[in-house]
Amino acid sequence: MKLLTHNMLTSHVKGITKGYPLLIKATEVKVNEVAFNPQFVSRMIPKLEWHALVQAADELGHRQDLPGDLVPNYEENEEFLKKVHRVLLEVEVIEGCLQCPESGREFPISRGIPNMLLNEDEV
Amino acid sequence: MSFSAGDGPAEPDATITVIVGATVPTGFEHTAAEEVSEKIGVEARISKDRGRIYFPITTDKLSQVHHLRSVDNLFVVVEEYDHYQFKDSKEETLQELQQLAAKLPWTNALEVWKLNRTLKKKKGHRKVTNGTRGKPGKETVDLAAADSEQQEPPQPSSAAEAQTQAESTPDMETSKQESEEAAPEEAAPEEAAPEEAAPEEAAPEAKVIKFRVTCNRAGDKHSFSSNEAARDFGGAVQEFFQWKADMTKFDIEVLLNIHNEEVVIGIALTEESLHRRNISHFGPTTLRSTLCYGMLRLCKPQAADIILDPMCGTGAIPLEGAIEFHNSFYIAGDNNDMAVNRTVNNICHIQKRKAEKSSASGLPIDTVQWDLCNLPMRSSSVDIIITDMPFGKRMGSRKKNWDLYPSCLREMARVCRPGSGKAVVLTQDKKCFSKAISRMGGLWRKLLTVWVNVGGLHAGVYLLKRTGAVFGQTPEDVHESLGTVHAQQEKTDNREPSQSTSGV
Repeated sequence: MKLLTHNMLTSHVKGITKGYPLLIKATEVKVNEVAFNPQFVSRMIPKLEWHALVQAADELGHRQDLPGDLVPNYEENEEFLKKVHRVLLEVEVIEGCLQCPESGREFPISRGIPNMLLNEDEV
Repeated sequence: MSFSAGDGPAEPDATITVIVGATVPTGFEHTAAEEVSEKIGVEARISKDRGRIYFPITTDKLSQVHHLRSVDNLFVVVEEYDHYQFKDSKEETLQELQQLAAKLPWTNALEVWKLNRTLKKKKGHRKVTNGTRGKPGKETVDLAAADSEQQEPPQPSSAAEAQTQAESTPDMETSKQESEEAAPEEAAPEEAAPEEAAPEEAAPEAKVIKFRVTCNRAGDKHSFSSNEAARDFGGAVQEFFQWKADMTKFDIEVLLNIHNEEVVIGIALTEESLHRRNISHFGPTTLRSTLCYGMLRLCKPQAADIILDPMCGTGAIPLEGAIEFHNSFYIAGDNNDMAVNRTVNNICHIQKRKAEKSSASGLPIDTVQWDLCNLPMRSSSVDIIITDMPFGKRMGSRKKNWDLYPSCLREMARVCRPGSGKAVVLTQDKKCFSKAISRMGGLWRKLLTVWVNVGGLHAGVYLLKRTGAVFGQTPEDVHESLGTVHAQQEKTDNREPSQSTSGV
C-alpha cells in the first residue's frame, strides 16, 4: 500500500464519523523506485489531505524533512516535488494494519493489500 | 526479387510500402485508427468487415506496429479485392482460387514477413532451439525452426482463448485448415520455376518452409465452405512455393479472409495474439488487454488522475492503464481473495519485466480488498472509475445484477468527483444497466456507448459523466423520480447491437 492510496482510504463502518485518517501500524515497509514526473506530483498535491500525508510518513519513519505545511509555489520547486514523490509513490507498507482513529478497529495489510471488508454488523 | 537467401538481398536498404491489416476488438476500430495515427503517423482505413483496420507502412517503420496497444493480431496484405466476382459453381470458384495462388504479388509481403521475423528474434526472450546449419546466406534454413516468441506463458490462455474462438454467428466460419488432406503427392518435381519459388529448397540439407492457411469466411452467398477454400488454396500455394504444409509448427501463416465480396489474402505477422500481453495469472473472466486499452482511451486519462477499478478481477484494466497511461494513479479493488492476489501477482510480473530494463520499475498502482457497495474511499476523491461489471452469464447472476447495479452506481457516484468525474463501464447486462442509469439522472449522464464483443457475448461499454450535483442531495436520494429521466433514455436504449466477429 502506497501512501497516496492511504491518503484516500477511510473507515466506512456504520456509525463512524471520524474514520479518517487511518493510523498505520507497519511491520514491513519497502521502498521501490518509481519514475519521477513533476507534473504528476504538482497536480496531485491539491487532491491530497496534506497533514494526513505527513502524519502517515511520520508513522512509518519516512517523513525525512517533509514540511508540516505546504510550501508556497511548490509547483516550481523540484526538490520539494521529489520529496513528495518519494513519500507518495515509493514508500510501501507490505505488512501491518490500518487502525480506525475513532473505534480502534483494525484493517489488516498483507502482501501490500489492505483488507477493508466489513463484518455484517458494521454495514 | 526471389524469396531465397542464396542470392543475398538485392537492395538491403530499399524501403517498400505495404498495407498492414490489424484485427482489433469490434467497437474500437476508431480508437485503434487513432492510435495508428498517433504512433505511426498514417491514416488507417476501417474495414466493412468489423474488427479490422488497414494502414500503409514503410518497412523502415515496421517495428512500430508492435507497439500498438489496441491491436490483437497483425498481418501484411498480399492482395485485396473489394468486389471479387465468385463463379457460380463451387467447382469453378475453388478452381479459380487455386489459380489465384500463382498470380498473387507475394514478393513484398514475404519480404515484410522475413523482416518481421528478424525483428521478433531481436526482442524475443526465447532462443531458437533446434540446431541450424547456420551458413551465411542460407537464411531459409533458420526459418524452419519453431521460433516461438512468447509474450507470457501460454498454458492458462488456451482455456480462455477457446471461449473466444468457439463463438461464431451462423453465417460465419473460421477454419484453420491447411492443405494436408488434399496435399499432392510429395516431392513435386521442379517445374519451370516461377520467380517467387525458392529453388534452394531442392538442396539436400536445406530445411523447407512450413506453412498453413487459415480461412475466415462470412457471407451467405458463397457456394463453398472455409474448409474447402483453405484446402484448395493451400494446395495451390504449396505447389507454387514448394513449402511444406504443417498445421501446428508452421513458419508462415497465410490468411484468406472472405467477407461477402471482399477478399483479402495476407500473411500473419503475429504468432500469438497480443491481447493477453500483460496477464500471467488469469482468472475466469480476464479481459483482453486490447479491450482494456480501448476502454482507457475512451476516458482519456490525464496527469495525476486518480483512477479506480472497484471490481478489478485480475487487474487487467488498471494494469494496462499503469503501463500505457502511466501519468495517472490506479487503485484496483475487489472483494475476492483470489482476485486481489492475482492482481498483485500480475503487477509483480510486469514490474520484474520492467526491472530488467531500468531501475525505476515501480508502477503507479495499488491493490485493495473491499466491498464495492461500501468503498472505503473519501467522497469525491476519484477522477475516473473504469470497470468490467459482472455479466450475468459468466459471473454473478442476472437476478443479483438487478440489486447490484444501482447500489454500485450510487457508491461510485459518491466517490467520484462531481462535475469533472467520469466512468467507463463494460457490461453485458445492458437492460439492467440502462435501467439503473436511468434512475440516476441526477448523478450520472450517459455520454456514449460502444458495442463490443467479449468472448462471443455482446456487451456495451458505457461512457458516463458525473454530474455536478453533490451526492446526497439529488432527487433520487429523496425519492425515486422516474418520469423525465426515462424519456431521455428511450432513444439510446433502442439502439441494437450489431453482429460482430471476434477477430481472426
